[in-house]
Amino acid sequence: MARVRLNNIEKFYGELHAVRGISLDIPEGEFTVIVGPSGCGKSTLLRALAGLEEIDAGTIEIGDEVVNDMAPRDRNIAMVFQNYALYPYMNVYDNIAFGLRARKFPSNEIETRVHQAADMLGITDQLDRLPRQLSGGQRQRVAIGRAIVRDARVFLFDEPLSNLDAKLREEMRVEIKRLHQDLGKTMVYVTHDQIEAMTLADRIVLLRNGKIEQEGAPLDMFERPVSRFVAGFLGSPSMNFIPARLAAENGQINVAFSDGLSLPMPSDRVSGLEPGREVVFGVRTEHITRDRGANGRAGLASLRVKIDLIQPTGTRTYATFQLAGEPVMAELEAHDVERPGEQLSLFFDMNRIVLIDPETDLVIQ
Amino acid sequence: MKATTSIADTSFGYRVSVFADRRFKYLLVWPAVLILLLVAIFPLINLLIVSFQDISIIGENKTFQGGLNYGRLFEDARLWQSIWHTLAFTAVALPAELILGLLLALLFVDRMPGRGIFVALLIIPTVISPIVAGAMWRLMLDTQFGPVNQILGWIVGGPVDITWTVDRAFVWPAIFITEVWQWTPFMFLLLLAALSNVDKSQIEAAQIDGASGLRIFFKIVLPAIKPVLAIVLLIRGLDLFRLFDIVWALTKGGPGTTTETISLYAFVLGFQQFETSYTAAIAFVVIVLLSIIVILALRRVELAR
Repeated sequence: MARVRLNNIEKFYGELHAVRGISLDIPEGEFTVIVGPSGCGKSTLLRALAGLEEIDAGTIEIGDEVVNDMAPRDRNIAMVFQNYALYPYMNVYDNIAFGLRARKFPSNEIETRVHQAADMLGITDQLDRLPRQLSGGQRQRVAIGRAIVRDARVFLFDEPLSNLDAKLREEMRVEIKRLHQDLGKTMVYVTHDQIEAMTLADRIVLLRNGKIEQEGAPLDMFERPVSRFVAGFLGSPSMNFIPARLAAENGQINVAFSDGLSLPMPSDRVSGLEPGREVVFGVRTEHITRDRGANGRAGLASLRVKIDLIQPTGTRTYATFQLAGEPVMAELEAHDVERPGEQLSLFFDMNRIVLIDPETDLVIQ
Repeated sequence: MKATTSIADTSFGYRVSVFADRRFKYLLVWPAVLILLLVAIFPLINLLIVSFQDISIIGENKTFQGGLNYGRLFEDARLWQSIWHTLAFTAVALPAELILGLLLALLFVDRMPGRGIFVALLIIPTVISPIVAGAMWRLMLDTQFGPVNQILGWIVGGPVDITWTVDRAFVWPAIFITEVWQWTPFMFLLLLAALSNVDKSQIEAAQIDGASGLRIFFKIVLPAIKPVLAIVLLIRGLDLFRLFDIVWALTKGGPGTTTETISLYAFVLGFQQFETSYTAAIAFVVIVLLSIIVILALRRVELAR
């Protein structure tokens, strides 16, 4: 077990500046998820941490030692690869035992450890099979087994679930989370999937173009995004963004849309908002609810809209309508709307919306 | 009504297509079969027939001679010597080419500047005709004017006059140099392709697992390229067993019969001494032996997969 510290990491691939001065402090035992769209540098960062990629500047510390010039095998880390990277000509037992044998563990110790790991992952009855005889989920378990069988200081996961189908992915997600709770090891997990990031992480690090856009606890980042990018990346379906303008009326500040509709900001959220300013209005689908006439909580603003598309999922129904020429999606109760074309009054939870500066894409309020 | 017609139509069309498909595939195959019959099966049968007759420079006796020619095989010391030469040379040259080719391939498997040019240059010997390669090396190894002797002379610091294509101690090394020079690149090229196909993440996983370079090579890389390894060994093994051109260009089997291979001996017997029937018997035995080796080898390759 060890903490990991990255200081001002830079990485170039020829002209491409893949990692731009990333610093990160990962405390011992924490589950950190590095997330971002493809090409954001997240895999490069993980591979640099593993020693598979050389960095052009900065230092990497594992425990209290700088490991920049250390070969991967001397860093005492374990890694799970996206394509599993199992050794195809060895059976499951030999795959898991490979690292122990390479590190010259005594054979009885190897046997106990392999069986322990296999027990933990429920693959004991597959120990003498070859990787190609296993299903995707089983292969992923073997890959994880190979990682946990050694007492590695840090566990690295490089998009380990992206080759699995949706159902299996959820299953393995639970298993990885449980593994972290049981082992209490430092884990660094790379993914492009925001749901994996939200569900697994103690802390999310969101990368964009080789830089950290925001880092923090999952719910913090979800509720208090610093930029349009973060707000749009986390959450599914994504947040709605509608261009608007701030307008002062009767002593309060309204968010006014180009089609004449407007929504009042709650009085405790108006400080620093200058009337006349151009903004992007951001609202999550679940913060638009049906207005049933009864007086709602403070901060709910009502708007009458015409639904033009509905997508029922069973528990909820996604309803799309137009606001200022932009399609906006609301996540309503299953029976709130029955067919497209219905006129509906919807509440916007103005306590939860974000206002974004269209120039800088940073969140103002 | 309309529906019935359409069902009838599709089923008719379907039947036509199945029929056409069945007939058509035979139609496509028969030219290949014909050519195979013409250039392989008929000559082979004729070879077998001739080997049981007695046709030589002395005369043509086309009656059935029983085991006459096959009996001669066992008493022909020169034949056994040529077989020994062929096998011994294969046993030395094949591993040499394999190891050299593999080392070169390992050297060039990683991307590096100038890699494309080097690989292209390395391939050149293999695209040259063996008889040309042999002729070229005869010049290279020429006692008086050849650069090889000259360079050796610079190294030892005095004149070197090895008669590469005549001296009994040097004729086999001369053939070895030429053979290895020409065919190592072939091994190199195929092994390079095989090595490039080894899953990089497996190697990375093994590095992280703590394996040394040697361990990774023997446990991960070698098993991965084994099928290709088996195929190149088979191809080159067969080629070496038929070794002719290079020897012909360099020594013509000499001095005496020192460098006579089985192919060379058969050629001399058949086309210089016109021992047609006896040569046919030799050729037939060689073909049967090689076929057995190929079948066994292919079966092993199949099993390995």
